[in-house]
Amino acid sequence: MEGIVGVFRELDATVDAVAAVKKLKAGNIRVYSPAPRHELEHLLNTGPSVVRRYTLIGGLLGATFGYWIPIWISDYWPLVVGGKVVPSWVPYTIISFELMVLIGSLATVLGLFVVSRIPRITMTVGYDERFSNANFGVWVECPPDRQADVSDTLKKHGAVEVRGEQ
Amino acid sequence: MATVARPRVRTGPNIPEANVQLPSVETYDQVTEEIRRTLNPTKAWLAGLLLAVVCLLIGLGAWMWQVYMGLGVAGYSPPVMWGVYIVTFVFWVGIGHAGTLISAILYLFRAGFRTTIYRCAEAMTVFAIMTAGLFPILHLGRPWKFFWLIPYPNWRLIWPQFKSPLVWDVFAILTYLTVSATFLYLGLLPDFAAIRDRERDPLRKRIYGVLSFGWRNSDLEWRHFARAYLFLAAFSTPLVLSVHSTVSFDFAMANTPGWHATLFAPYFVAGAIFSGIGMVFTIIIPIRRWFNLKHYVTLNHLDAAAKLCLFTALVVATAYITEFFIGWYGGNEIEHSFWYNRVFGQWWWAAWIMLTCNTILPLSLFWQKLRRNTTWLFTLSLFINLGMWFERFVIFDPSLSHEFEPWQWTRYAPTYIDWAILLGSFGWFAMWFLLFIKNFPVVAIAEIKEIIPPPLRMAHAVEGIDVAGMHLEYEPETPGERD
Repeated sequence: MEGIVGVFRELDATVDAVAAVKKLKAGNIRVYSPAPRHELEHLLNTGPSVVRRYTLIGGLLGATFGYWIPIWISDYWPLVVGGKVVPSWVPYTIISFELMVLIGSLATVLGLFVVSRIPRITMTVGYDERFSNANFGVWVECPPDRQADVSDTLKKHGAVEVRGEQ
Repeated sequence: MATVARPRVRTGPNIPEANVQLPSVETYDQVTEEIRRTLNPTKAWLAGLLLAVVCLLIGLGAWMWQVYMGLGVAGYSPPVMWGVYIVTFVFWVGIGHAGTLISAILYLFRAGFRTTIYRCAEAMTVFAIMTAGLFPILHLGRPWKFFWLIPYPNWRLIWPQFKSPLVWDVFAILTYLTVSATFLYLGLLPDFAAIRDRERDPLRKRIYGVLSFGWRNSDLEWRHFARAYLFLAAFSTPLVLSVHSTVSFDFAMANTPGWHATLFAPYFVAGAIFSGIGMVFTIIIPIRRWFNLKHYVTLNHLDAAAKLCLFTALVVATAYITEFFIGWYGGNEIEHSFWYNRVFGQWWWAAWIMLTCNTILPLSLFWQKLRRNTTWLFTLSLFINLGMWFERFVIFDPSLSHEFEPWQWTRYAPTYIDWAILLGSFGWFAMWFLLFIKNFPVVAIAEIKEIIPPPLRMAHAVEGIDVAGMHLEYEPETPGERD
């Protein structure tokens, strides 16, 4: 992995730089910001997050498991009261709901970790410690023959520091 | 070049709104530094921690004595077998509810004033549930067998009774604890990264590096983070309503006078949120003063939270009135006798402490001057904590001591063991909270950066306007925002 990273002090400069680098079609772009910004998200146009699928599957599994366990246990120890059906779905809905929330929530976090590729052991390439504080960063993964173009574009749009990394 | 929209001028009255502003917080650097500074331990903090540990040890000693002597030392005598422990269990579960309300429900409603107080409220939730979870165990004669409630497969094939509210409680509380802790940790991830990157001490840097899971603030991470946070908030919202409803079923499912009411679920939820907001004030007002965070947690934020407190107090008052009315009008002689005994008879003192603290004193919040007076808010919050503990006491013990048969009617008085364990629970809660506030940021760094104007080039130098033109022009003279 090699490319160019540019450090920006201002949001609008970052937005302009990303728009310009996109036009170059030099390679994958990764943008760093101290806080989430809709301007950057809209510009990168990356589509809806797939975390929702993990949430849905986790929630459905939890709800199913929450019904299945009490029903199975009721049938295993059938205590017949007044000739009524042994499994009683109304109270079991509480168990099902709680497990839907529990497993759905944990699946959501798992989904976040998987699709965001964290935990991450190293973070040297393309990252600068200033990005979590007050600066914005643009990392463009590109071959050596495109790096000069990318570097010039980033500088032109207000990057306070541009460097190559690999 | 990005477009800049023309600013809209805020001309309305001084009411905290969704698009809340922090005029004295100007740069991202300032946010990181000022909040990171709160992590430096002080002598006062250490003294507070020691005091909390001493309280905890007193409670621990009392519990060990109870295990040795038996539950009789806790003042139980049939038929009053639920006393201070169950009262305090419900009290702490209730305290936890405001945290999720503020962090999840207000997040879904886009209520901006939550941003500066939600971290403390969320941490309060987690520690309150951790405290509450101790009490069912303390209440057991053989506490080492508490795990029998958990549905694990074992060689005796004994499984819990899933039709019992006590088992629902286990699921509800454990789910609530897990989801609340997960929600808290998720919000902390970007803040851990911010602290990690500014930390100079290698050991602390490494610890925050591990805690942050290598978070890098990239667009990929933010995109999925925002979605995951939204889903967790969406899960937490019905969860917070269900948990105290489930706790209320512990009582409402019984035939005991004063308990067997369909009102209990909403009544418990409203009371829980009310008590939790009271505890938020108890915690956040000293923190904003001691940590010098008055320009983050502004008077406007406290004003908005006070309105929420007032609203929930009115809901609770409506529930009390409904209970009394049904007791009087319902035509059930036993209920009628019980209610008279609760409010004007044997337990009048407890009932009137509850009514005064929970319904009369909060009416003061109709006055804006008092909503913006931190001394009064803090004092009121102590009364609310007291009143809500007594609410649970008034619900449980008058009912058990005045059931159907007159020969069963009895008295109940907590013993010194009860009070010591209650004190210990406050020590346990305070110990965790004090450890939290000196190791984790008490205000969400990343979320504050979201609501302050971003740094812009001179070409866009219109105060308070970002490149999308989303921010409103700030009205500098708004009282309280610079306090």
